[in-house]
Amino acid sequence: MTGARLATARRALAPLAALSITVAGVGWAFPDGLTPWRSVGIVSGWAGTGLLVASLLLMVREARLARLLGGLELSYRWHHRCGLLAYLLLLCHPLALALDGWAEAPPLAWQTLDPRAQSWPLWLGWGGLLLLMLGLTTTFAMQLPYRRWRSFHFVLGAGVVLGLTHVYVLLGNDRLLLTLLLLAMAALGWRLLASDLGLAAHPYRVTQVEARATGMIEAALAPCAAALAVSPGQFVLAAFGDGVHYRGCGEYHPFTVSGIDDQGRLRVSVKALGPCSRRIQTIEPGVLVHLEGPFGSFLDEVHAAPQLWVAGGIGITPFIAALRANRCRQPTTLIYLYRRDRHGGDAAFLDELRLLASQDRQLELVIDASDEGPPAVDRLLDEVSRLAERQVQMCGPAALLAALTPALRRRGVADGAIHFESFDFR
Amino acid sequence: MTRRLFILATLSFWLAVVGFAASHWWLPASVAETALATPASAAGAPTTAATADASRSLAEVGRHREADDCWMAINGEVYDLSRYLPEHPSDPEVILAWCGREASQAYQTKGRGRPHSARADRLLAEYRIARLQQP
Repeated sequence: MTGARLATARRALAPLAALSITVAGVGWAFPDGLTPWRSVGIVSGWAGTGLLVASLLLMVREARLARLLGGLELSYRWHHRCGLLAYLLLLCHPLALALDGWAEAPPLAWQTLDPRAQSWPLWLGWGGLLLLMLGLTTTFAMQLPYRRWRSFHFVLGAGVVLGLTHVYVLLGNDRLLLTLLLLAMAALGWRLLASDLGLAAHPYRVTQVEARATGMIEAALAPCAAALAVSPGQFVLAAFGDGVHYRGCGEYHPFTVSGIDDQGRLRVSVKALGPCSRRIQTIEPGVLVHLEGPFGSFLDEVHAAPQLWVAGGIGITPFIAALRANRCRQPTTLIYLYRRDRHGGDAAFLDELRLLASQDRQLELVIDASDEGPPAVDRLLDEVSRLAERQVQMCGPAALLAALTPALRRRGVADGAIHFESFDFR
Repeated sequence: MTRRLFILATLSFWLAVVGFAASHWWLPASVAETALATPASAAGAPTTAATADASRSLAEVGRHREADDCWMAINGEVYDLSRYLPEHPSDPEVILAWCGREASQAYQTKGRGRPHSARADRLLAEYRIARLQQP
């Protein structure tokens, strides 16, 4: 199977897994000869339960699983989709049962919903639904700080457990139910213990810190035990601990690797974008850092065809990692776009890039600094020879990628030849 | 888009819940009582005064132990649950096992040792056909 076909097959795995779990649940409990609204209530309840379990499984942050499912970003995208769809179906569940009561006798509708008329297995269901509601309300709250948003996100996990317990105690000890419950608990346990508490993380120590641009540092990290096998273009999730004068925020955030050497030492570039990354700007050598990953497949296939690389600001990091690791095997044009201000702007690695370009005949470097407004994308692309034959790799702000994509299409670059790196973890 | 969908769905849900609650409180009491009393008889359940006063022995109950002819003795009463079985939320095998038997203990400690809800009690009453004849 070719790389492209394999990638397509992997992209279908997450939705297929979600669909399989959902169909298994609905099929097991599919109503036969019941009233229409009761049937709707049962199907929506089981479909919602299956999708909730799938959503939990897609939340697991593990490098091999992420690669199998086509990448962590894709996995998380399906985690969000399954979670929201499950919520919508679970809202229908009690309402459909109430409508079933209404069809029988209107006063039965409220008796079906009224928690005072129910026993604790149904209170569990209500509790689960209310926690899902609370967790999703905070998920969609735009202005919530990341740390508070993350705490509220755990409420969703508690909601799922309550909901599954509601089904389990209501319907008895069945193998399918037990399997779903165990899958959900295993996914939550892995996420909490292995990922968030870092039990499966690899310890590294900061050995050097260099300022690379305004509000951007590059930290060199040496492994304390087994090193991660990272390729240029990949990213790791890093949680920086405390140092002698430095107090880390301890949260895992994604950072693209900007350097890898043959002894497993890594370099990561950190731009001050939020409270935690601003604090990391003052990090010092000696700090212990826990890494998870590596994740991502950006720059996986840069040796098969002529390349056009476009980097915006901090987006230069995967490309500098690739250039530091190997000389270009294909004719490669690197367009580096950055903002210029009186402090120097967000240009990083400029001298090193010029040096690398002078030593590599396959590499053409185009540097473009802009003061305000969008970069002159059309002018820059017009300068690239044989553009339609190239594979395009882009990394930068979303606005830059949105401007570049249609401009590339207009110049005959196929959609399959356009690759970009984006981080969408919320 | 997803944010709007979430807000719209959540608001609609609560509006529906409040609507059901309001209908319960504002529905005239006589209508509510009539409605609650009607379904079983309307559906043909034998809950007339004559059948309610009849008595059945446990041996007779034992002759009705099929899915389409399922009687149970619960708390001194006899119920014909044949019509209700397809609607019971659990795995059919769970409840089928009690057809034709004294099922009071199972009814009071279903599943993991918890009683049925008040609504289930009201629902059960609709299927009563006789008193259980004491040995």
